[in-house]
This record gives sequence, C-alpha cells and structure tokens, in this order.
Amino acid sequence: MNSEQIKIIAMNLWVYGLLLLLTIVGILVTPTAGLYFFLRYGWQTPRIIRHIIWLYGKGWLLIIRPFVHFQRQGLTDDQVPENCIFVINHLSFFDTYFMGALPQSDITFAVRSWPFKMFWYRLFMQLANYLEVEDLSWEQTLAKGNMVLKQGGAVLFFPEGHRSRTGKMQRFYSGAFHLAVQSGCPIVPLCITGTDELLPPGRRYVKPAKVRLKILPVVDVANYQQEGGHRQLRKDVKASMVAELERMLSNTEHESR
Amino acid sequence: MTEQEIVTIINDALVEEFELDADEMQPELSIYDDLGLDSLDTVDMVIVLEGAFKFKIREEAEIKEIRTLGDIHAFVQRKLEVEAKN
Repeated sequence: MNSEQIKIIAMNLWVYGLLLLLTIVGILVTPTAGLYFFLRYGWQTPRIIRHIIWLYGKGWLLIIRPFVHFQRQGLTDDQVPENCIFVINHLSFFDTYFMGALPQSDITFAVRSWPFKMFWYRLFMQLANYLEVEDLSWEQTLAKGNMVLKQGGAVLFFPEGHRSRTGKMQRFYSGAFHLAVQSGCPIVPLCITGTDELLPPGRRYVKPAKVRLKILPVVDVANYQQEGGHRQLRKDVKASMVAELERMLSNTEHESR
Repeated sequence: MTEQEIVTIINDALVEEFELDADEMQPELSIYDDLGLDSLDTVDMVIVLEGAFKFKIREEAEIKEIRTLGDIHAFVQRKLEVEAKN
C-alpha cells in the first residue's frame, strides 16, 4: 500500500466519521438551538432549520480542511444580495455542503426527490421548506419560490438538474430564470470546481481535492422582462458560467504545475 | 414548405433551444422521458415554434396532448395547413 492510498483511507475515515458525528450532534442539538434562535431572533421553523443547515455546511468545511484545499472567490460578503436566486453548476453530491461558505444562511434549495430519500436529512429538508421540484408542479415550485423571495430569503437552483458525469456543463432548465423574471430578484451565478475530484457521481469514497467556489457578478433581471426574456437570461447566465469555469479550470491547472 | 422542411425547422429549433443531440431527434421519442423536457420547457417550446413559423399556438388545447417529437411535427403540419386554407 503506497502513501497515496493510506492518505485516501485516512481521509475517508476522518471525513465520514466526523460527518456522521456532526450529523448526530446536529440532530440532537437542533431543538435547543432552534429554541435559542426563536427567542433571540424570532425566526420561524423554516428559517431556523435553514440556518442550522448553513452551520452544518460550515462544520463540513472544517472537517474537510486537512484534505481539501478550499477557496471562495469572486464577490465579497457585502456584495452578495440576501434576496436573490443562486444558480450553480453540479458536479458532486457534496456541492450543496459547500454552500456553508456563502455569506447568508437563509437559502432554500430547489432539489430533486432523491435527497429526500435520505431519512437522516429528510425531516430537516421538509422543515426548511426546500422545493422538491420533481414532486411539485412548476406552478407550485414557482409559487413557493416567490414566497421565499418575498420573505427576503434566497433560492438556490442546480439548473442542470443532474450532476455532470463528464465535467462539462449540461443543458440548463428554465425554472430558476422564470422565477427570477417573475420575482424581479437578481440572479447570482456560482461556479464550483474540484468537487468532482472529491467525490464524482458513481464513486463512494472521497479523495483529496482543490475546491474553488466563485461568486460571479450579480445579474439584474430588469433587462429581461420582455416576453420570453427568461430564455435569454438563461442563455446569458450559462454563457458567463461556462466562460468562468474554463478560466477557473485553467487557473487550477497552472497552480498544480 | 414540404413536410421534411417543416420537420427540419422544428428539430433544428428544438436542438438549438434545449441543447439536444441532433442525431437523437427521432419522431417516436417522448419529449419528456427521452428528450428530457419538463413542463416549463413546453412553454419555451411554444415560444420557439411560434418564432420559427410566425404563428400563434399558445392558446391551442392540442398542445397539452403532445407527447412525442412526432406529435409536434404533426401538430405544426396541421396548423400550417389550416393557416394556408385561411
């Protein structure tokens, strides 16, 4: 067994062991923490749970630190609007965990049905009012998304719908862009790289990686209010993300030389 | 416009809009299960077809019955025939 293999075994014991511990502790402390957030900030259950999930993401970032070189780039905290629609490319199961690096905690994820099948997360996702896009009609998803945005929160979409198995960005679905045009809330594109090194689809063990999360400039939707404007918005946002991902991957290659 | 020209215009428009594989555009394919379109995409599909053929179809009840790529071809064909008669 070489040192690389030993490192991978150690990483998996560390990461999955501590993630299990963090999950159990998280479940146990949620009622007390929830009561604290309610008394301190007057938050209702969905807001409290979204904050706890965000803290869980922060815990994840600490757990992986010995093995994953993570960097957030792009906009600074004060440049990211609280009330917006995030769209991000999708490479790995663990992409969502890195959202703990975003500046705000009030983020409602739009997710497919399969994450709800993980019983240890399901209750949290339901309590957080996540948008289960496969089970809801698009009218319901857009109505729920509009509600979240009206209350001042953010909604996060993976517009590709699935994790990419080639690393190449797939076609974008329109939901996020319909919601943006309907609500008038800006789009904040996010580009993530390296999570496909950490855990690509089809592999069960994690490997050391360099993960970069870049927050791209805010896209105002005022110029997309004409009929079918969501289609142009979708194309423009995708083009900017494709170009940025190419730059990020090229920079990562230079760094590793 | 020939039937083949209509099919080509439809397929090209859908390939461009939804980033589909041009080689996969077979009439028997389900637009949902095989081409991966969702209900919001059908809204975009209507806009795309209206743009490509310069007609209005969004109020047509028949659109809700479309299941396959072949259904789109046949629907547009019928619509163009009606438009030509009028």
